[in-house]
Amino acid sequence: MKRKIARLAVETVAVLLALAIFGVPISYVLTNAGKSSAAAAQMSIAPAANTQYLANFSSVIAQSSYMLIRAFLNSAIITIVSIAVLLGISSTAGFVLERRKGRGISWINFLVLAGLMIPPAVVPTIWVLKTIGLYKNMMGLVLVEAALAFPFSVLLYRGYMGSIPRELDEASFIDGCTGFDLFMKVIFPLMKPVSATIAIITSISVFNDFVNPLYFLPGSKNVTVQLTLYNFISTYLNKWNLLFADILLISIPPLIFFIFFNKKIVSGMVAGAVKS
Amino acid sequence: MRRKLIVLAVMAAIAAASGFAADRQKLVWLQWTNEPQQKAIDAVVAAFQAKYPIDIEFEFKPGSSEGENLVKTRIAANDMPDLLTYNSGSLFQVLNLEKNFVDLSNEPFASKLLDSFKSVVSAGKGFYAIPYQPIPAGGILYNKKVYAELGLKVPKTWKEFTANCDKIKAAGKVAVIVSYKDDWTAQLLFLADYYNLQAAYPKFAQDYTANKAKFATTPAALRGFEKIQEMFTKGYINKDPMATTYDNAQAMLANGEGAHYPMATWVLASINQNFPDKMKDIGFFAQPGDSADKNGVTLWMPTNISIPKTSKKIDAAKKFLDFFVSAEGLAAYMSVGAPDGAFAIKNVKMPEGLFPATKDAITYINANKTAPALEFLSPVKGPNLPQICVEAGMGLKTPAECAAEYDRDVEKQAKQLMLPGW
Repeated sequence: MKRKIARLAVETVAVLLALAIFGVPISYVLTNAGKSSAAAAQMSIAPAANTQYLANFSSVIAQSSYMLIRAFLNSAIITIVSIAVLLGISSTAGFVLERRKGRGISWINFLVLAGLMIPPAVVPTIWVLKTIGLYKNMMGLVLVEAALAFPFSVLLYRGYMGSIPRELDEASFIDGCTGFDLFMKVIFPLMKPVSATIAIITSISVFNDFVNPLYFLPGSKNVTVQLTLYNFISTYLNKWNLLFADILLISIPPLIFFIFFNKKIVSGMVAGAVKS
Repeated sequence: MRRKLIVLAVMAAIAAASGFAADRQKLVWLQWTNEPQQKAIDAVVAAFQAKYPIDIEFEFKPGSSEGENLVKTRIAANDMPDLLTYNSGSLFQVLNLEKNFVDLSNEPFASKLLDSFKSVVSAGKGFYAIPYQPIPAGGILYNKKVYAELGLKVPKTWKEFTANCDKIKAAGKVAVIVSYKDDWTAQLLFLADYYNLQAAYPKFAQDYTANKAKFATTPAALRGFEKIQEMFTKGYINKDPMATTYDNAQAMLANGEGAHYPMATWVLASINQNFPDKMKDIGFFAQPGDSADKNGVTLWMPTNISIPKTSKKIDAAKKFLDFFVSAEGLAAYMSVGAPDGAFAIKNVKMPEGLFPATKDAITYINANKTAPALEFLSPVKGPNLPQICVEAGMGLKTPAECAAEYDRDVEKQAKQLMLPGW
């Protein structure tokens, strides 16, 4: 009985702590998004005397000739296409790297790891994008995002592949599969949990990316959602209420994504952990 | 059949639209986000587009150091727009003007600009930009209501100023508002003291750049740090200075909780956004020095617009700059509201409806009692000045220690610039 009470107490404290850590900032954003600009500039957590959510949201959406709508569209395209490219490339790479053994493979593994360790440089990347004609083009940014997430995804896929028995490959070959069939019909469906994990983690990091779109996708029509935040702050003049309203609007898609796929993330992360 | 017709109609429409658009040139302008002047700029752009067959499209960049990095990256990648908004003075000079920007010294509008402005956007024989906003003046903003209630007069000397502060403090109000949470605001008392420093030591900027004068060893230069610290030791400042933001300070000034806020006139747009009905209560005076007949204001130089050399439409861009500083352009600029300072353009008639604080600042300019801030006279400005000013303002170090620390900070900068004498 005593133990139960102790456990309950610990759990209550943990829940309260989580509420404080996550709840306070969110409620701060929520209340300030509805204030007037003078009230929001005071940076207080107290609820507003009169709220003006509708006015704030509509001026955020109308800002710079409806930039936010274009930004949502751009961000959605960039996120979806980069995930598709990334999953296609890194799952096949992970499959081959785990199944094949040899000297060449360990070198390739080293190169993939190097991608995790060496930071990307901006100016040479712009030069490369310009040479292949993809600078200021959404496809160019898609390639950059996919390349940046590639090493980590390959690691996850390789780890997961280790848990898929080789006997499956052999059985499929005996049944007449080609290598391509084997991957498409047997292996890729089995890797669903890890694909889901990668899709969720990278979609959120791509959607929330600020620096890469800033450097690799300039142009008045090429805005992404994170860049719209800068519409409301500058050195000498800030519109905090609209900034918070914008934050609220652009955090809705990742939030929905997280709520629905939360379970998959954890199962996918753990899936490759234990080799049998 | 029907579908084919629709496709044809759409194609024809696209062709017509693009054919129509082909007569008009398009300039791309890399502009700061959320500029206080954006409304005025939009008005100028609209008037320009109506007059010439040239369209202007904005690309936005953040105003912080993120934006500086972006511009440097795009220069390195040879990918600059047709027009660029940027800080004047040392930040602009770093961009290697002669190599990267179009020289404007032979343009007809060159003679319209104030020489003091041209000097901060020049390199070698040319000058490279036009002013984009009115001239900000640095000094002390004060609440006129508090002054009227306590029967105070605008101080002309530092002694009168501290006497006023004592009375305000005795009346239970905050005498001087400081906002050290945004540490850049701590520098204002120091930087805006340059008029007084120059009055006492006219050649300071030259000697300082040549490493002959130091803040620690020049008594007039040390005054800046002493003034910041005096606010603290005499108890004039608000409580929780380290938690007070730029925006908090504006509210305190507008609502009359505090009487003085050392700041430049660029803050007026922000106060006007949040407290439009309080603008009539806010006045401005120059930072007082030691003698009443040497009382003047320190000016910052306005942000500028320049044309990068890589632009393929330099002629169209020059037309826009010409229009921007013309009478027509200025009329459009002022059509959306009174400007918050004097222009760096000769013979501009100021409209009615200026903010009282702007009027106060312009009085000094008309009386020719001005000096540019030190950062426009010397390329040497240490990166750690905000933190050092906060240390002085919180009494963590003596003014002499702060000055010595700043001299060391500046030395690194000067050596990086490879100035002679360092």
